[in-house]
Amino acid sequence: MHEMANFIDLTLWNVLYLFIVGFIGGLVSGFIGSGGAFVLTPGMMSLGVPGLVAVASNMCHKFPKALVGAIKRAKYGQVDVKLGIIFGIFAEAGVFYGAHIQERIKAAFGDAGSNLYVSVAFVVVLAVVGGMVLKDAMKTYRSGETDAEEKVTKLARWVQSVNIPGTMVFFKSLNAKVSVLFLIPLGFATGMLAATIAVGGFLGVPAMIYVLGAPSLMGSATELVVAFVMGLGGSFKYALHGLVDIRLAVIILAGSLFGIQLGAIGTTYVKPFVIKLVMGVIMVIVLFSRGLMVPVYLAQLGLIQPLSETTVKVLKSSSFAIMTFALLIGAFIVMRAMWQGRKAERQLEEMPEKAAVEQI
Amino acid sequence: MASDYSKLKKKPVGKLVIFGICSAMLYGAVFSYQGLITAYFTRGALYAVLPIATAFAFSYVHGHFAGYFWSVLGIEATKKALRTRVEEKRHIDRERPQPQPRPRLRV
Repeated sequence: MHEMANFIDLTLWNVLYLFIVGFIGGLVSGFIGSGGAFVLTPGMMSLGVPGLVAVASNMCHKFPKALVGAIKRAKYGQVDVKLGIIFGIFAEAGVFYGAHIQERIKAAFGDAGSNLYVSVAFVVVLAVVGGMVLKDAMKTYRSGETDAEEKVTKLARWVQSVNIPGTMVFFKSLNAKVSVLFLIPLGFATGMLAATIAVGGFLGVPAMIYVLGAPSLMGSATELVVAFVMGLGGSFKYALHGLVDIRLAVIILAGSLFGIQLGAIGTTYVKPFVIKLVMGVIMVIVLFSRGLMVPVYLAQLGLIQPLSETTVKVLKSSSFAIMTFALLIGAFIVMRAMWQGRKAERQLEEMPEKAAVEQI
Repeated sequence: MASDYSKLKKKPVGKLVIFGICSAMLYGAVFSYQGLITAYFTRGALYAVLPIATAFAFSYVHGHFAGYFWSVLGIEATKKALRTRVEEKRHIDRERPQPQPRPRLRV
């Protein structure tokens, strides 16, 4: 049993904070298939929760939240369960390997080294993948073809054309048979990223869309199945060591189970490119948040001139504020798109009624 | 007025209340006995099942409560999205092999 004595006392403020962050994180997760974790874990730590307990408790809330979200989106025909489970199994392997790498880096370079590794991973992945996703979303928006069917990328068409006997599996989201061998590196990398920065979906969802050729709605929905598999495995691992604070997990669930279902409902009101837009915006903003922390860790490792305490404090506060802003802006885009979508649907419903009244 | 009443009737208010009460009871139990629960849930080894099972229980009860909450407020998926799922199910049912009639002997 680890750090049991360090389970925090919960105050009303702590509970409200976790409930609200859980709700917003759930809303974003329900919409883009991932997110929330990158704010929840540091958020819990800012309340005094030890790092490992924060990660473990976050995992224990993640898999039930993902389960509820996946079931909800499956009702709208958006989930490819087979793809999610197979992808999730490889992602689980990636999680264990990623956690092992983290432990080795921490043992060799201490907390500062581990934090620098996490921040660099954030910056590189979010810059490359987030930039690409956002660019694609903006391109679709500017082209005016937001209602057109999403085009499958050249890479995905090639992946779908490769035939390796004995490994081919039909996936309904791809409407094609794809070799399971392609899922191994993609799933593994997703799991490694989840173990490193707590959000595997930032790689998993773009991989399903751009490498395998899944539509945005199905990629983001299927990621919830992947998150369930990863979260369940990860939670067991942490629970075996007595690291899960179930009180934190259920408080976050109190908010996130509302949020994830609202986010799932929201996907039915928006055009597919909005999924990419929300994901891209969040990723690019979080990139800046983590980028601010890189000089702090470089200074702690002695690789650059030491920074003053005030500078470190300012950088840490700004980083956290920008991260929270990323989540809020994502939630705002989701709610706004939903509001507009519902308004348009209501107007469409009223049109035949008005015509009938006019005839009378 | 009749159409308003029929709209209200369709909303799962009863289920919302039942799951709301059950959810409140679950949360009440966790926080009333948090010391005891924390002691057992952090023992590790086989006790690892306890937090996992609790998370599943909350996802079922509170998940249903949250779902009915949005339904009662009238916040639901578009009719097109719900229709897509119904049509998908019909397509799957049609694709299932139909049972062949048994051959009968005519005397």
